Parts: sequence; structure tokens; C-alpha cells
Amino acid sequence: MRIVNPSFGHVPAGAETLKTGTVDWKRDPILLFSNSKPNAKELLEGLKAKLGTVRSTEGIDFVWKPSASQPATADQIDGAARHYRAALLALGD
Amino acid sequence: MAAYVIATETFKPLILAQAKARKVEPRILVVKHPVGGLNAKELEDRIETAWASLKGLVG
Amino acid sequence: MTDKIDAELVEVGDIDTEAWNEFATAQGWSDGLPMIAPTEAKVARFTNSVKTDNETFAPISPRQVVPTLQSLAANAVMAGCKPEYFPVVLAGLRAVLEPAYNLHGTLATTHPCGQLMVVNGPIRTALDINCGSNCLGQGRRANATIGRALQLILLNVGGAKPGDMDRATHGSPAKFAYCFGENEEESPFKPFHVRRGFRPDESVVTTMAAEAPHNINDHASNTGEGLIATISGTMSQVGSNNAYLQGPSFVVLGPEHAQTLARDGWTAESIQEALYERSKIHVSRISKENLESWAGQDRHPVNDHYYPAGSPDHINVVVAGGPGKHSMFIPSFGNTAAVSARVSL
Repeated sequence: MRIVNPSFGHVPAGAETLKTGTVDWKRDPILLFSNSKPNAKELLEGLKAKLGTVRSTEGIDFVWKPSASQPATADQIDGAARHYRAALLALGD
Repeated sequence: MAAYVIATETFKPLILAQAKARKVEPRILVVKHPVGGLNAKELEDRIETAWASLKGLVG
Repeated sequence: MTDKIDAELVEVGDIDTEAWNEFATAQGWSDGLPMIAPTEAKVARFTNSVKTDNETFAPISPRQVVPTLQSLAANAVMAGCKPEYFPVVLAGLRAVLEPAYNLHGTLATTHPCGQLMVVNGPIRTALDINCGSNCLGQGRRANATIGRALQLILLNVGGAKPGDMDRATHGSPAKFAYCFGENEEESPFKPFHVRRGFRPDESVVTTMAAEAPHNINDHASNTGEGLIATISGTMSQVGSNNAYLQGPSFVVLGPEHAQTLARDGWTAESIQEALYERSKIHVSRISKENLESWAGQDRHPVNDHYYPAGSPDHINVVVAGGPGKHSMFIPSFGNTAAVSARVSL
């Protein structure tokens, strides 16, 4: 018996594997990205304070999604990619 | 740009699956679940765990 | 989701129904109930039923792959659909793929939402979709299998596998199958799809990421005013995503409640207005921490109340069900929209 695979689909054109660059965590601008769930911002603030013990906190900025149940806006994602070398995302909770 | 995701151990499979779906190398700082609902003292433990991983990157 | 099989066609050998189901379950293709094997011949009967629907589909979240018509049909076969149900399934899929629906969020969330499908127009009777007694329950093949097919598509093509990319804390029975038709014949109001700008002779599916229905029992109220008090009281829930996010909802009026409301001069629009205003939640019912959290999101009370809907239009009023003094309230995921799509026949 031959069946049609119910999970079959094509990967959209242009979706190649993305590679990330190297980061100088002591100097590069870092974005702290909150998923807007409770305690996400506090967790990131705690990490910013920890980073402050080994580097300047200038250039470490916050952004948060409009709400936990919405995706980040295109502007937020573009802005992150344009201005920062590294991002810490509080996402999975 | 390098993006590191802070995820609880419970949500790590979601992050891995989504990274795979989007063909992105997953970089995860795993902390104990949960994060939401914790008081400041409990949250400090999660911050310490995430910092322990991050410190290795910062050097 | 880990695909063990990447080919569109799979040779599974000469296996019986039981072995097929064991195989399919091992692949992660099942919702836990037995399924029909999607043989090439069966799938072809389904794809032939949608010859007028040639538009390609957007990638399906969260896995982000573009389905083929065959893979979509395979899920409809597995769900137990008849071929003629397939256009309704595809209309439901097109609706949930609209960006306003926020499919990714609704599938990856911890919230217990399934994909509600409300069917309007002539296709309801043509396919024997239950709009009357027990329309949200078991017993009618079209309701059960059309709703199930959409869920299976999101599981298998979308990759929303429970515990993996579907992170629901509890889930919901609404995630098995959630499809009913409006009881247009017993409604005192214009059909829901007509109020949304479609023609009466068009068949339309409206979707929303929805919780399972919440009962609204009112046997005593014999006025529209009394019913509005009971319905709005049921909608005024502190722990609902609507309270958090002011999203859409459905109010499914039983025909008897609808007729009482209409007799007393209520229209679908005036019901929406009244329910919007009277379902507001006084701040005294909301925890201190939630009040702080909402204030942090720049969300503030209006005259000491929070509104669970963003506007009266968020409250979608339909009529369905059979005899009895019950209606239903269906809250949503919150950050989603009720999205309609025409059935291509």
C-alpha cells in the first residue's frame, strides 16, 4: 500500500541555514529582548547587572514584545539586527 | 548577529524545534522552570544560572 | 517535529488497519484516535474535489513548511472526511493562515485553544453539518471530521506536536475537533456571514483560536434584559485570556434565547453593545499583581473597570443549537482574530 505523507511540505524558497557571527561581549552593543511574560524583564535586568560587573552597561538596551502572545514587530526585529551584535532573548517560559 | 535564548528546561524542546524549523543554530541558556510566578529571591537563582552560562561566553 | 519520512509518497507494505494505525502513530501523525490510511487513490478523490481552489498556501506555523494539496488531503482522509468536505477544510486553513489570526502564537501557547470553525451558507445543509441539537457535541460526521482534519493539518504539516511545539499546559477537548454550523433557519437575525459582508448564498468558514465552550444556563429569565444580565455575567471572567488581552469571543445563542431577545427588540448589534458594556470587570475582582502587570503594559482601568473585549465588534454573536434554555460563551486566545474565508466550490 502506498500512502501520501501527511506531514509532507516544501521549505519556502530562501530559507537557508543562518549562521551567526562572532561577538565581543565586552564591547559590542547587546540587546535584551523580553517576551513580555512575568519576570522576563526582571531576569534580563539581573543579567544586565551581572554584565555590568565585567563591562560598561552602556550599549546594553531593552526591548519587549507588544505582548507575550504576539510576535515581535518587524521594526523590533529589524532594529535589533541593525544596531546590535548580540541579543539575549527571554523567550522560553 | 548572535542571539542567545534564555529558556527554562521545560521549554527547551520548543526552542530547539523552532530553531530547527527556521534553520537557525540554537543557542540556549537553560534555567530551571518556571520563571513566571517567582518572587525576587527565587528569581535570583535563575539569574545566577543564566549568568553562569553567559560568563563563559563573555570571558 | 522530527520527520522520519521526507518523501511525499510512502510505501508502507501490505498492512491491515491496526498495523497502519500503529505505523502512523509511531510517525507522530495521530491525535490519539484511529485514522483512515491516506492511500494515493483516496487522496486523489479529495484533491479532485477542489479544482477551483488553485491558490498556493502560505507556510504553516510553527514548522513553516509549504503544504502540497496532497499532504493536506491526506490529513482530511485520515480524519475520516468525505471528499466533498475538503473545500470546507481548506477554507478553514486559509482563514487560520491569515496573519491577523496569529497562528504561531495560538499553537505554541500554553493556553488551551483549538481552532474553532463556524460554518455559514448553503454548504451546511449540503454536507449535513450539524447546526442544531448537540451541534458542539458528538454524533455528526461532518462536524467531527472537518474540525479534526484542520487540527491534523496543523499537527502534521504545521508540526504543532503536543509537548514539543504545542506547549499547552492542559490542552482542551476543543483541540480534537471544533466545528459547527450556524442555525440560520431558526435565527431571528441575519446570518453571521451576511453581517460580515458576505452574500447569503456564499458558504463561509469563520475561524477563531478558541477555548472550549462555556455553558450559559438561563431557564428563568423570560426577558431579553434578563438574558443579557446572565450572558454578560458569564463573560465577565477574571482568569480568561480575554480579560488579559481584550480579544474576540463568540456568543452562541441557543435559538430559544435568541428568539426571546429578538421578541424584546434586541438586534445582534445591540446585543454586542450591551455585552461589551456589561461584561466589564471591576478592579476589586482582579489581583493586585495582575493590576500591576497590566499597568506595566500601559493598560489602565476605565472608571474602575477592565473590558474583556476591545470593542463590541469583538463579540461575535451567532445562533446555534437546538431546543433548550442554554447558550454558550466561547472565549479566545486573546491575541487572535475571528477570520472568515469563502468556501471555493
